[in-house]
Formats: sequence, C-alpha cells, structure tokens
Amino acid sequence: MRKEGLVRVLVLLVVGIFLFAGGGLAADKPVKIGFAYIMSGPFATYGQFAKQGAELAIEEVNAKGGILGRKVEAYFEDTAGKPDVGIRVIRKHVFENGADVVMGIDSSGVAAAVAPVMTELKTPLIITHAATPDVTGSKCNRYTFRVSLNINQNIAMAAAIAADTKVKTWTTAGPDYSFGHQSWEYFQTYLSRKKPDAVFLPQAEVAFSPAATTDFSSYITKIMNSKADGVLISLWGGNLIDFVRQAVDMGFFDGKREILMTLGAATEVLYALKEKMPTGIWVGTRYWFLANDTPVNKAFVDAYVKRFNVYPSYNAHGAYAAVKTYAAAAEKVKAVDKEKIVEGLRGLSLELPVGKITIRPEDRQAVTDGVWGKTAADPKYPIRILQPIRKFTGAEITPPVAETGCKMN
Amino acid sequence: METFLANLFNGLSWGMLLFLISIGLTIIFGVMGVLNFAHGSLFMLGAYLCMQFVRWTGSFWTGLLLGPPLVAALAVAIERFFLRPLYGRDVSLQLLLTFGLMLFLDDGVRLIWGAAYHVVQPPDALSGSVAIFSQSYPLYRLFLVVLGPLAGLALWAFFTFTLWGKLLRAAAMDRQMAEIVGVRVPVLFTAVFAFGAWLAAVGGALAAPHQSVGPAMGERIIIESFIVVVIGGMGSFPGAFVGALILGLLNSFGTTFFPQVQMALPYILLAGILLTRPRGLFGAES
Repeated sequence: MRKEGLVRVLVLLVVGIFLFAGGGLAADKPVKIGFAYIMSGPFATYGQFAKQGAELAIEEVNAKGGILGRKVEAYFEDTAGKPDVGIRVIRKHVFENGADVVMGIDSSGVAAAVAPVMTELKTPLIITHAATPDVTGSKCNRYTFRVSLNINQNIAMAAAIAADTKVKTWTTAGPDYSFGHQSWEYFQTYLSRKKPDAVFLPQAEVAFSPAATTDFSSYITKIMNSKADGVLISLWGGNLIDFVRQAVDMGFFDGKREILMTLGAATEVLYALKEKMPTGIWVGTRYWFLANDTPVNKAFVDAYVKRFNVYPSYNAHGAYAAVKTYAAAAEKVKAVDKEKIVEGLRGLSLELPVGKITIRPEDRQAVTDGVWGKTAADPKYPIRILQPIRKFTGAEITPPVAETGCKMN
Repeated sequence: METFLANLFNGLSWGMLLFLISIGLTIIFGVMGVLNFAHGSLFMLGAYLCMQFVRWTGSFWTGLLLGPPLVAALAVAIERFFLRPLYGRDVSLQLLLTFGLMLFLDDGVRLIWGAAYHVVQPPDALSGSVAIFSQSYPLYRLFLVVLGPLAGLALWAFFTFTLWGKLLRAAAMDRQMAEIVGVRVPVLFTAVFAFGAWLAAVGGALAAPHQSVGPAMGERIIIESFIVVVIGGMGSFPGAFVGALILGLLNSFGTTFFPQVQMALPYILLAGILLTRPRGLFGAES
C-alpha cells in the first residue's frame, strides 16, 4: 500500500516535471538581449536614457506576446566608455548571460574595438549610437549592424546647411579622439564638394579638447581669436554642456559666427542647459521627437513621456529602435537563431519613430532620414526645441557603399 | 594683448580651483602621510551639495556656506572609523581604502541625484561679464582669480600665526615629538582630514557655477591635483600654489600655442621635475 502511494507520487512528479519543463522549452525560454551602454562616469545620462528606451520597447513587445511567442529579457552592462571594458561586457553578455543579440554602444572608440570581436563571438550586434564610419566601413563584418545615423550621414547634413551660409572660414571644436577628428575631416570633404572655395583652419588652429576637459575657456578663447566665422562643434554630452555654459558667459554666441553643433539636439544636453542653450544655433541629432507626426512616432513619444516624464532623447530612441528592428527580423525569418537573424536583418525595412529605415545588406548601415534644426524657445516645452526644422532623406545623406570601404567576407 | 589676457585669466581661474583641491591633498599627505584618492569625490560631493542648497534656497552663497561643512562632517566619520585603524599598517591598505571610498562616493552620488547633468547659476552679483579691451570676460571667473590668492594668504596666515596652524606644522614635521610634548595627535588628524575635505568641497562648490555638475566630475581635477602636488613637492604649501599656477597656465597657453602636445604637457613637466628635482620644486630635503 505504501509502495503504491510512493509510485503514484513519483509518476505525478515525473509527469509534472515533464509538462513544466517540456512546455518551458517549447515556448517559455526567453529571448535574451544584452545591452552595452555607458552607465557610469560623465556620460552616464546617455546610458540612462537608452535603458529607458529599451525597457519601453521590451514591455511593448512582451505585451504583444513576445518575439515568436517567447518573452524578451534584458541584461544591461556598463561599458564605461572604454574599449577594453566594452569588449569584456560583450563577452559577458554572450558567454555568461547567454544573449541572443547584443545592442547599444555609445562611443566610437568602443564600437571600433567591439565590432571585430563579433565575428569571433558569432553574435549579431546592433549599434544604436556610436557613429564611427569604420564599423560599417573598413571594419564592417557579417554580424555588425547599425540602426542609427553615422558620422558621414550627420556630417553630410551639416555640410548641406553650411553650404547655405555666408561663412568664409570654418574651424571646429571637438573631442580629441577619432570621433572629433573624423567629424572635422568629413566636414571638410563634404563641404568642399558643395562649395570649393570654403576655407578651413589648419590643424594647429582648431580646438580639440581631451574628453576629460571641464574647463573649455582656453579653447573658446582660441576660437574667438581666430579668423573663423563658422564653427563646427562635435562635442557631446557633458563636454558640450560645459562648453556651451562657459561659451555663453564669454560672449561666444554674440552673433558674429555661424555655429553648427552636430549633436546639439540631444535632449540629455537640452534638459541640462534649459534656457542657457542659446537660440538660433543649428543643431543636429540622430532623432528628434517633434520631427514627424506619424502614428508610430506619436505613440512612442506619448508612451515614453507618460512612463518617464521626459521627452525621449535620440539615445532612448536608438535602443527602442534596435529592439523593434530585432523583433521585426525575427518575425521575418521566423527564428532567433543568430545566423538566421543576421539574414533577417540584412536588407530589412521597417517603420520606426524616426521614419522608415532600411538596413543596407552590403555594409549593414541603416539608411535613415535625418534632421537638423535651429534652437528656439517655446513656452510649451521645458527645453529648447528645433524651429525651423530641416529634414533630409536617407538616400541623399548616405554615401554609396563603394565610398564606405566595406568589404564583406 | 587680448589673447594674452584672456589666456592668462583662463589659466589663473582654473589654476585657482586646482590650488584649492591640491592644498587639501597636500596638507592631508604632509600631516597624516595619507594619499587620499577620494579627494576628487569630496570635491564632487561639494558641488552636488551646493547644487542641492541652491535648489532649496535659491542662493549660491548658502550652498557655498552650508555644503562644505557637511562634507567635512562626513570626512570626520571617514577618518575616525575607516582610516584610523589603518595608521601604522601597510600604505597600500590606505590607498585601497581611499580608492574604494572614491568608487563608493561616485556611485552614491548617482543613486541620490541620478546620472543627469545639473547646472548651477552663478550668484546674481557675479553673473555678468566685464569688458577687457575689445572682449568681455565673465565676472565669475575673475572672482575665482581673485579668490585664489586670498584663500592662499588666509591659509598661510593660519599656518604661521595661529596655535592650530603651528600644531599642524609640528605634527607634520615630527609626529612622535609632537605627541611627546603633549599634542593630541589623533584629534589633530581628524581635524586635518576634515579641513582638507572642507577645502575640496569649497572647490567643488566654486566649480559648480562654471562647469556642469555630474557624476565623475572629480576625475579630471584629481589627476591634475596629484600632478600639482608632485610638482610643487609633496606636503609643501607654497609648492601647491606654484604648481597649480603652472598647470593652469600650461593648460591655457598650451591650448593656443602647442595644441598638438597640450594634453601631454603636464606629464612632460611632471617627468622633467621628477628627473631633476625628485622632491618637487618646494619639497623639503629629508
């Protein structure tokens, strides 16, 4: 009698485990996304916004039943903006967290270091912020994709705007690493094509500041005392905030020079500066929440504001867009297998809040619309907004594949 | 001429902030023999507290007055409960402790105030700018330029003429002897650490209106402060002043005249000093 009872319990147990685990294997094993952003140090606010965007997208995907019926799980790691740390956390995502895909990367330096590692890890990487042309150019590879604008696309817009100004001589203020230098190089190349007589100050007279700079006065003085009447500013994050505040005090924005800030429309920066951000300055971004009124964008902005009580920054949009892009690729190939996802992402077109994007199969760079605008005050918004706005189509700002230097193996 | 003056003021104002940080660092090292890695975090904490008081009261001066004593109070706790057990033990333990404190404070600040950048307005009286030849220069920066030497003078008077100042110097020179003649060294140490922290926090509060307040804002300044202290001579008071001035001016004039090597200049100077005068410009011979 006792034995019979024991057997019954055993059978129940086995059946139960089978049902539970079997069912789990079939439908409940989550899709794991590993995010790698700057979550500490002077640029940590970018990681904060990206995390919010990612969380919103994942909630939306899960509310609709997940990806192919599987729940999505997020893992966040801090790259600290350092290439070696970046490689380490990407490995951690793949080997420890078991990530099916990796997303994020804020700094170009980190992106350039991480991209080549992806071939070894055989895991797709969707870059959402870092803009160096190399990762979809000379260092392009099967697994590295980018859904956000790169330097070339953004600077193509800057050059188009610069060509319409009366500026004779251009200089730059940028961070003293590849991003700042590449921004300045492409600006000279693209603007010279449109305006062959444009003059650029030589390397010794422009202002590249180390990333850790907090006092920009000597750089501001240098620009104000140069003969340049146009300034391309590629500083971003805390650097840009410090620069603008000190430049305002030093009378830099006295209307004597035309100013283009390639990443001035980051809401991270606009929220910090509020009315300290001068008006009438041309600013670029990867995404601007007021740039289009498609239902997709409106839904995104409304949901974001409702949940986090701030307007979404381009970095929030980047993370959100990457999750949505990944979900679309998975639905397209009906799998989350890493190799199949790569095929799904190649040539994928979908509509995102920023507009319709297409991932070029040749170099894996998204062809996406861009926007620049002039800073303006509007009592309806707590931050400076862009008015007027100048929109560019992805086709007109994306250099042809042949120009990127990408040779896919 | 305008370029020269602008560069001069740029260099001096940054140098004066450096001076306030370095002086705390060098006093703590000189008297206690502690190399305080967390000093930059105390600077940062000073800036955040100043910002918080500005939010509550709307007055920068309140922040400057009330923030730093809170940081000093925290420093008393740090010295009493964490540093004190380590005196007389291996120096690397102190380094590890202060380094750990730095990480702890940096993340703590992020937990309380978040990762975003914050902006503190300079006080109304100092928010304008003055004309210098054809250019305008922000008043707040000139205020820093004037404040630096005044603070230096006040500290010098304190060390030379007051009893406490003399006790500090005595303890720095020979701790054992000071103890024998009846100086209560443990109390003195607590006071020194708190005083150094207070100076760092004052520096932070003063920095708040001219740069953004954000996590890790102490990173840059702590590295340069270490250079200042080494150049001037570890534990030397005039050394910190001269070192800060040199570094500040090197920064501003370097940007204009040697942009390609500007980043390396402080380190080249550091290497040069260490090779020719290993004890620093004003370091005492032992």
